[in-house]
Amino acid sequence: MDHIDWNRLKTGEVNLGTSIMAVQFDGGVVIGADSRTTTGSYIANRVTDKLTHVHDRIYCCRSGSAADTQAVADVVHYQLQMYSQTAGKAPSVHTAAAAFQKLCYDNKDALSAGIIVAGWDEAHGPSVYNIPLGGGLFRQPWAIGGSGSTYVYGYCDATYQEGWGRDETVNFVKNTLALAMSRDGSSGGVIRMCVITEDKVERLFVPGNELPRFWEGHEILGAAEPRKKVASDVVPMVEA
Amino acid sequence: MDTRRITSRLSTLLDIYYNIMQSSLRIVPASSGKSATIQDTANSLGLHDTLQYGPRSLAAEIQSEGSLKARLENWDATQDNLKLTLERNIFGMHAPMRRLMERKIVGTTAHSLSAPQTNLHLDILMGRDETIEASDVFLGREGGPAFDVHAEIQKKVRT
Repeated sequence: MDHIDWNRLKTGEVNLGTSIMAVQFDGGVVIGADSRTTTGSYIANRVTDKLTHVHDRIYCCRSGSAADTQAVADVVHYQLQMYSQTAGKAPSVHTAAAAFQKLCYDNKDALSAGIIVAGWDEAHGPSVYNIPLGGGLFRQPWAIGGSGSTYVYGYCDATYQEGWGRDETVNFVKNTLALAMSRDGSSGGVIRMCVITEDKVERLFVPGNELPRFWEGHEILGAAEPRKKVASDVVPMVEA
Repeated sequence: MDTRRITSRLSTLLDIYYNIMQSSLRIVPASSGKSATIQDTANSLGLHDTLQYGPRSLAAEIQSEGSLKARLENWDATQDNLKLTLERNIFGMHAPMRRLMERKIVGTTAHSLSAPQTNLHLDILMGRDETIEASDVFLGREGGPAFDVHAEIQKKVRT
């Protein structure tokens, strides 16, 4: 009577197709994401905010099923509130990442969620933790995730350098996401970024018409070039 | 203090803890494997109730409706269990034990003044004092009164 095919339900779920990214720099972290949420080929939300607050200086970037990542982020947000009430101070980014990891691993069979946790804490300064599908925990200086990330691993490997400041890191994130969004069908829209430092969290927004542009294939695809003027001594043919 | 009372309270605690709470971070109920059972069709004598459900058959017993039914039935318990597990991880093992013990005390204490179907103390401890659900309208039941004559008669006859 109710033999529900959960796998079928899963594939039809609202999906954060996504390109997400987080990079650590000297004073903090920069996190960024595209803004497209799809249900199959329909774009359910073209201005999604995939950068979710879980604590004052700890944010997570969500990729995978929208419902699953929202549920997990809600539980962690709740847990970190309880933690900070008891401990009397903000939790460390490692604590938040471990909370995400426990949930993702224990619910491994039911979830489809790839999360990047990034933030600043007093004990360790800035840090980025990657929690891919399956629920492993990996600390990295920079992490990319989502379906669009596969297209930009090469660009990131070639471009990233240690010792960058805030502006260079913001540019790195912006360019990487723009490249991912231009190649991945499930990523697009606008770029949302957060710069998390000890003092504050600053939100940055890059609208779709101001995205950095790279090679767009004008030579092959023939953009609208102005028509060449015909020489004046050639008379155009007319029907009699 | 009475040592017998202390030991009985302690065994109550452990009973509650081991029987009701599983330390698990599951957000939604896990889908259980298929199994055969006569629990659904058992009457008050513990055997398959032929009068109500017909003769025993494989079709009646194999739990082929497992997935959605189990999910919905275990939904609230799973959410509650998640919260208790989070409390255990943050505050220590005593926290869920205390909460469960408080619930049991409040749930089994007989109130003579208030209506027997409402238990405000238990609602507060379960975290549902600020919601209105079907069971609040139907005084403890999920739906309206079931027109199950056999069950009604049995309830009256059973002491």
